[in-house]
Amino acid sequence: MHAKSSALADNATVLRYALVAPAVFIILMIGLYPFVKLAATSVQDITMFGADRSFQGFKHYARLMEDDRLWEAIWHTTVFTAIALPIELILGYLLALLFLHPLPFRRTLIAIILLPTVISPIVAGATWRLMLDQRFGPINQMIGWIVGGEVEILWTINPTFVWPAVLAAEVWQWTPFMFLILLAALSNVDTEQLEAAEIDGAGPWTVFRKILLPAILPVVVIAVLIRGLDLVRVFDVIWTMTQGGPGTRTETISIYAYQMAFREFEVSYSSAIAFFVIVLLTVIVIAALRRVELAR
Amino acid sequence: MDRRRFFGLTATSALAYGVLGSSGASAQGAATQAIEAAKQYAGTTLNVLYEAGLQPLDPKNFTGPLWEELTGIKINVIESPVDQMFTKTMQAHMANSGAYDVLNVIPNQLPDLALAGALEPLDGFVEKYAYGDELDAIAPVYRDNQMKVEGTIYGLPDDGDVLIMYYRRDLFDDPENKAAFMDQHGYELAPPTTWEQFSQIGQFFTDKYAPDIYGAGMLRAPGNAQYLFQERFRVEGGKFFDDETMRATVNSQIGVDIFNAMIAENDFMPPGVEQWGFIEAFNAFLAGDIAMTISWPPVGRWAAGYGKGTEALNWIPETTVADTIGYALPPGGHPELAVGFSLAVASGSQNKEAAYLFAQWMNSEEISLQRVQLPYALRDPFRTSHFESEEYRNRWPTAGEYLDTLKAGAETGLIDLSLIQTDRYEEGIRQALSRLWGGDDPQAILDDLAAQWDELTDRIGMEKQKRVYLDWSSKPNAYPT
Repeated sequence: MHAKSSALADNATVLRYALVAPAVFIILMIGLYPFVKLAATSVQDITMFGADRSFQGFKHYARLMEDDRLWEAIWHTTVFTAIALPIELILGYLLALLFLHPLPFRRTLIAIILLPTVISPIVAGATWRLMLDQRFGPINQMIGWIVGGEVEILWTINPTFVWPAVLAAEVWQWTPFMFLILLAALSNVDTEQLEAAEIDGAGPWTVFRKILLPAILPVVVIAVLIRGLDLVRVFDVIWTMTQGGPGTRTETISIYAYQMAFREFEVSYSSAIAFFVIVLLTVIVIAALRRVELAR
Repeated sequence: MDRRRFFGLTATSALAYGVLGSSGASAQGAATQAIEAAKQYAGTTLNVLYEAGLQPLDPKNFTGPLWEELTGIKINVIESPVDQMFTKTMQAHMANSGAYDVLNVIPNQLPDLALAGALEPLDGFVEKYAYGDELDAIAPVYRDNQMKVEGTIYGLPDDGDVLIMYYRRDLFDDPENKAAFMDQHGYELAPPTTWEQFSQIGQFFTDKYAPDIYGAGMLRAPGNAQYLFQERFRVEGGKFFDDETMRATVNSQIGVDIFNAMIAENDFMPPGVEQWGFIEAFNAFLAGDIAMTISWPPVGRWAAGYGKGTEALNWIPETTVADTIGYALPPGGHPELAVGFSLAVASGSQNKEAAYLFAQWMNSEEISLQRVQLPYALRDPFRTSHFESEEYRNRWPTAGEYLDTLKAGAETGLIDLSLIQTDRYEEGIRQALSRLWGGDDPQAILDDLAAQWDELTDRIGMEKQKRVYLDWSSKPNAYPT
């Protein structure tokens, strides 16, 4: 009897694996093959003029360690992420709090707020570039009305203003995403707990720290991870607005990798950059997930 | 087929047949020969890479339908932004996708693409279809500089791009302005022949007319301005590299002086000129907002009102300078032959011969003359016969003067820098200019540019790059003579 049930269990296990195997295989092919191909290319020597596919060692990795422009791009990406992410999170949270309560035309307003998110980032970048244009753009004109005189701010050229300009476009487009996620999370917080806290005399900060934050934290972490990864990969908006300029002042990792891969055709070197960034991001994501005990 | 398209096709066909007929319909004509030979490929489709925008209207509205009617070969136009054409061509080559048959190649990228194996050598086809004589009739500066790589034909020069000066004759001819300018500077008010004069004239007009009219508005966006820098640097006596050591000399005092002058000139140009590309400068000139500009040939045609009423040009603002436009060579007298296009055949094409025949037909004396007169297209005169065409010279009142200026530019013009991996060197200039508008120190910018170029040269191989540079610099239109 025992042997029979054991055999049945074994068969069931085999069947389960067999059923899952095709999906796993496809996922591995889709996800793993490019990764392996990327790693292989990064140790070859493929350029515009030749494709030496023999093993070349890790010379491209050595080169990227000494590549000042790459590290500058990593620094730009880090700073950009570090500034944009909290702004989007805080603005998204505040908006979500606002819309948590009944408002006139609430649904319509939510739909309007979400509009930037559905626009292609290339279009968003081009639109912002036009809005910030000195000759045709309305922003300098509006500032001029406020200050009472003609304003000449070259937003996408002047190093002082170029980051604020790019950040404004990014925050404008993606704050609604944070808003939506956080609104959903806040809507699910147990209102009885909030009422109890209020009766007990808890202040807003205490309510936030002791009730709201723990309740929405898993969702916040996921939202931050998604947006954080998006920001690290940022390309479209900056490319459309500045092409990484002035000079290389707004060049991010993605822009630099694109330049190397598709303008300079340093295929192996750009593969090394991409592989390096993937490893870096994987470490960060795993660390982040472990920290909030979601890795399980 | 709607009525408009029917009439359009009929008209263009009649035009082409007429032209072919007028050339004697001789079997010897390159266009006729291409048509006859191409008929064996009837039923195939050629994929043609074109710069996005107005350029593809030529194969879409004129040459494509006509070629299909004459040969049975269909033309499929694939568009790409100009700054991605090199990338797309290389990607198609590296992936061996055979995505394109006919390519539009920017001539200074011809060596890169040819050496990478992306282009088909054309000598065999040229000989087979006896196209040599008509190739020789292309204006020498384009024929000698935009066709061959290491002695092999890879492209058929097909676009006479040149940056010439356009100015408002009414302001320059105004007696009051003439007298005041003479008093102020001691010489006649006329289109500037030096950059110093350009500054003085520009400042003079700005002082008098701004903010209604500024002295000049120039191409300042790095992608465009780099050509003006390349030209001006050489006109002022600069050399890009040392002939012996192949070290970059772009950071010489000449380069620094030019950067400083460009910054200073912005003061008499409209606010925000640092952002101006082709469209902004073009719009401002047509609106009469600036007295001078330097740009590509279509500006001169459209500003004169040529093509007015053409549906494809509805986006162009109404010109206010049609009766007052003047044409001149830019200061220094050596305009940049910026960008341009050569027709090439992709090495990965499955239809190389048909592709070549289409290119030969488009590039031939007969068809190219019609193409450069298409009001909506961007192909500019590149054959001696184009400059001399009576038909073209009568297109608008000052068309003759326009064509004479283009011809003069083609004789003294300077070709774009062309090296192995040219785009990387040009990218350096673009970045340098964007830093210049960002307020960085000119000397520091150019020192960085020189270091960047040297590093690149070392990576490519100094001797290898030196050979290519010396070959380029030995051409009569590389540096002013």
